Amino acid sequence: MKTIIIIPAYNEQETIKKVVNNIYEQYNDVDVAVINDGSTDNTLNEAKCNKKVIIIDLPCNLGIGGAMQTGYLYAYRNNYEIAIQVDADGQHDISYIKQMRNIIEHGQSNMVIGSRFIENTGYKQTFARMLGIKINSMIIKVLTKRRIYDITSGFRAVDRDIIKCFAKDYPYDYPEPATNMQMIIKGKNIKEIPVKMYNRTAGVSSISPLKSVKYMLKVTLSLFLMKIKKDV
Amino acid sequence: MIYICTIIFAIIFIIFILNLVRKNKLDEKYSILWLFFSVIIIGVSIYPGILEQISKLFDVYYPPALLLLFAIIILGAYIVHIILIITNQNKMIIKLTQEIALLKEEIMRKDNIKDEK
Repeated sequence: MKTIIIIPAYNEQETIKKVVNNIYEQYNDVDVAVINDGSTDNTLNEAKCNKKVIIIDLPCNLGIGGAMQTGYLYAYRNNYEIAIQVDADGQHDISYIKQMRNIIEHGQSNMVIGSRFIENTGYKQTFARMLGIKINSMIIKVLTKRRIYDITSGFRAVDRDIIKCFAKDYPYDYPEPATNMQMIIKGKNIKEIPVKMYNRTAGVSSISPLKSVKYMLKVTLSLFLMKIKKDV
Repeated sequence: MIYICTIIFAIIFIIFILNLVRKNKLDEKYSILWLFFSVIIIGVSIYPGILEQISKLFDVYYPPALLLLFAIIILGAYIVHIILIITNQNKMIIKLTQEIALLKEEIMRKDNIKDEK
């Protein structure tokens, strides 16, 4: 099936090239789109390392939600059947893409989330963040009766159906937990698979430890609001 | 004395708003509300009795308190209105930015195909 890997990148000049080349080394039947989210460093030129890369260059910084949605818009308009989002910082082990793709191709699931927490894979987290993820995971469970362990994972594969949903409506803030919840409410089939994630090698995470408590509280609020939101 | 000051202030405010509209810096539709309030303030200043009558109706013993309450409610509502406008504009800007990025990609792709030929 026609597959696109979407990599949103904001100031990731150290890692973006490696991530893109890694994907081309392992897969020869996928397209790779890098969404440059108004980076102020050399991310754009680093991403052009391979002629095949689809470069989508946002004229200003929209934040992760707006950048990600641009990728889904591209995927939707160019008739991709599977879209897989991967972080530009090299945290995600892209060898799992094969497995994620397989699950979608066999129609077993609408969305596959690469999860750090199903099995202990040795990924290190700050305590505050870990607790926040657990609490919000529980809230989703209470609100929807479905359990998702790694609600903030940015390593996800979705089918055509969800590409369409995301192209139409994608939250600008905290997109991962919010969309996971949205898709459960819509009755989509979501599967989590254990993946290995690497700790960051370069750059800074978009969520610093200090901010993580505030972040998680906002996520909690957005999840409750999601429950009462009208379907657009 | 305070009534005269208020009237003068309201008139200056009206001139200020009209001038903004004249210079095309303020949309007519946003000026209406402010002009309307200025006229009400002038009215209340000329006939303070109106405010006292309404205060009695609401069992408010200190008429200016009622005026302040109304002012706070209306300003609060106006802020919500402005946030709605900002949210809407934000969405439009994001949409435009996305479309520009996608168009840039399309142009780049077409140029590449031309180059190969």
